[in-house]
Amino acid sequence: MAHAPSPPVALGTQPPKRRTFSELLATDLRVLPVVIGLAALWIFFATQSDVFLSAQNLSNLLLQSTVVGIMALGLMFVLLVKEIDLSVAAINGLTAVLMAKLIVEFGFSPWTAVGLAIVAGALIGCLSARWMTFVGVPSFVVTLGLGLALNGAQLLLLPPTARYGLMGTGIEQIAQTRIEGMWSWALLLIGLLIYVGLTISNAMRRKRVGLPVAMLTGLAMPLIAGTVLGVIVIAVLNSHQGVPLLVLIFAAMLGLGGYVLKETQFGLYLYAVGNNDEAARRTGVNVGWIKMAAFAIAGAVAAIAGVLAASRTLGVGVFSGGGVGGGTLLLESIAAAVIGGVSLFGGRGSVHAALLGALVIGTVQNGLNLMGVENEIRLIVTGMLLVLAVSIDKLIEKATGQQAF
Amino acid sequence: MANTHPHSAAVASPRANRGTPLISMRNITKSFGSVQALLGASVEVHAGEIVALVGDNGAGKSTLVKVMAGVHGYDSGEYEFEGKPAKINSPSDATAYGIQTVYQDLSLCNNLDAVQNLFLGRELTGPAWFGRRLKRAECEVRAREVMTRMRLGNLSLTRPVGAMSGGQRQNIAIARSILWTPKVVILDEPTAALSHSAAEQVSTLIRTLADEGLGIVVVSHDIHHFVVKSTDRIEVMRLGANAASFKSREVTGEQVVNAMVGGNESVNLAG
Repeated sequence: MAHAPSPPVALGTQPPKRRTFSELLATDLRVLPVVIGLAALWIFFATQSDVFLSAQNLSNLLLQSTVVGIMALGLMFVLLVKEIDLSVAAINGLTAVLMAKLIVEFGFSPWTAVGLAIVAGALIGCLSARWMTFVGVPSFVVTLGLGLALNGAQLLLLPPTARYGLMGTGIEQIAQTRIEGMWSWALLLIGLLIYVGLTISNAMRRKRVGLPVAMLTGLAMPLIAGTVLGVIVIAVLNSHQGVPLLVLIFAAMLGLGGYVLKETQFGLYLYAVGNNDEAARRTGVNVGWIKMAAFAIAGAVAAIAGVLAASRTLGVGVFSGGGVGGGTLLLESIAAAVIGGVSLFGGRGSVHAALLGALVIGTVQNGLNLMGVENEIRLIVTGMLLVLAVSIDKLIEKATGQQAF
Repeated sequence: MANTHPHSAAVASPRANRGTPLISMRNITKSFGSVQALLGASVEVHAGEIVALVGDNGAGKSTLVKVMAGVHGYDSGEYEFEGKPAKINSPSDATAYGIQTVYQDLSLCNNLDAVQNLFLGRELTGPAWFGRRLKRAECEVRAREVMTRMRLGNLSLTRPVGAMSGGQRQNIAIARSILWTPKVVILDEPTAALSHSAAEQVSTLIRTLADEGLGIVVVSHDIHHFVVKSTDRIEVMRLGANAASFKSREVTGEQVVNAMVGGNESVNLAG
């Protein structure tokens, strides 16, 4: 179409400029404060305890962080759409007990029981989302009430002994399986190949349509960083009994979550709904469905975490899912997500938040344990870290003058 | 016809010679319960023309554009699109006819960048079995084309739009409306929250679109700085009906305001 001969006015105020550090801090480098904080914690604990940096302890630390990390990962989907699910810990406990009951009392195979537990978790998530959108009750209230109800159901499912042992059912094998030597390196290679494949396919697409490709920051650096980190982690874990299956499951879930959030339409809609659900609705996004999917994911992921926790503790009981009210499991899951950089006000967060947040909480627990500090102190420190993390967020917002995304 | 500066042609020639209007609404009535919002309102929108709808609060201009955009139905009257009766019962019907609306709140997601906002709800994606992977590169190229055409080429496509100025955000909202080559764009108060210079940039952009042959409908309270300077025709509404119609070049802000309030006394809102 021919243009009218009007003068070429530049409308976009200023020419493209390099982004300032403060702007980067508010966007792409959002993760920097958490990484620095985690590094500081590690340095501190390394000076306090000789064994902190030993392969055995680091392996332990990773294991301790997986359940909370997986919970935080699932919860993040709900936080992204500007909702909260306070029933995730109760879902974790109830579905674990359900799984144990199916195996111990009804003779289900472990695979079927685990599958049913995950489906149950997803259905409970759907239920709270449906109730929330249909009746218009805030998710905070729905899931608070639901959480208590599920706690009750969990107690009802338990036998008079209040405990199901899972020794010898096959479930305990999950936590005891470790992958060593060649197999662990092969798994790392597969993971890296998938990552490289996705990154390169994106770069090729950009090239094909004539867009510039950031060779260094977009292609080389993520690949090198991923390889180096992967090699270090596998090497450390291999020098102490190999890669625990639990850690592998967590890593696979992080990878899948990252793909969904960064690469897919559904992931984009989570961010859109979380920031401006009315705008999303106007463009035809089914906001109710997106929210329900987020709750279903949180529920299913909580069930997976429940199964893994049951496998670690060799059984389920009143204590499963953090005990009545969710206990520290609920609070630590929320705290991990928020410390990692997920916003409680929707629309901000990514999978490394779940990993980093869980590592911070796991590190505090592990490090203080090694120092012989009581559990009470650990709670105080974790609580302070949560407030500190959100405060740093706010300070960055104030200092850079921009809302963080 | 639309390519040869229809803006000046429209002003120079009588209305009868301009062919079939894109939108023709005649004697539209609409009531909400006992409240009569529209009592026989009419408006025509031609290709290449910027029509301003002005009026006091409650005059019915917002209701009229919402009927036009399919947000509200209407009780009686005629709504024609390109000379044929239009069956518009929902916003998506209006979109199918090529009518796009830029809401006053812009409907942007602040945490997404310009490309993501432009394509929100209409992303180009891969197959479902691969999770509907976004075709980001293809979207970005398309977005770049549209931005360049609108002379917005130096707006960042990768910054979150929440980090941008009000004028830039307004421009992105307008760019989104023209991404799918509509015939009519409705703008609700496009200059309301903008500084003087940003408002002028938006005016220039709107003129660019009209010069490409789009019909533009603008609802605005900004009579003195925007409506009389940057539009072609002004439809004044009062109490749910048309009170006056002006050619923007032949009228002053005071005359328009007089027609809005329905008096002949001199009203000075310039301060």
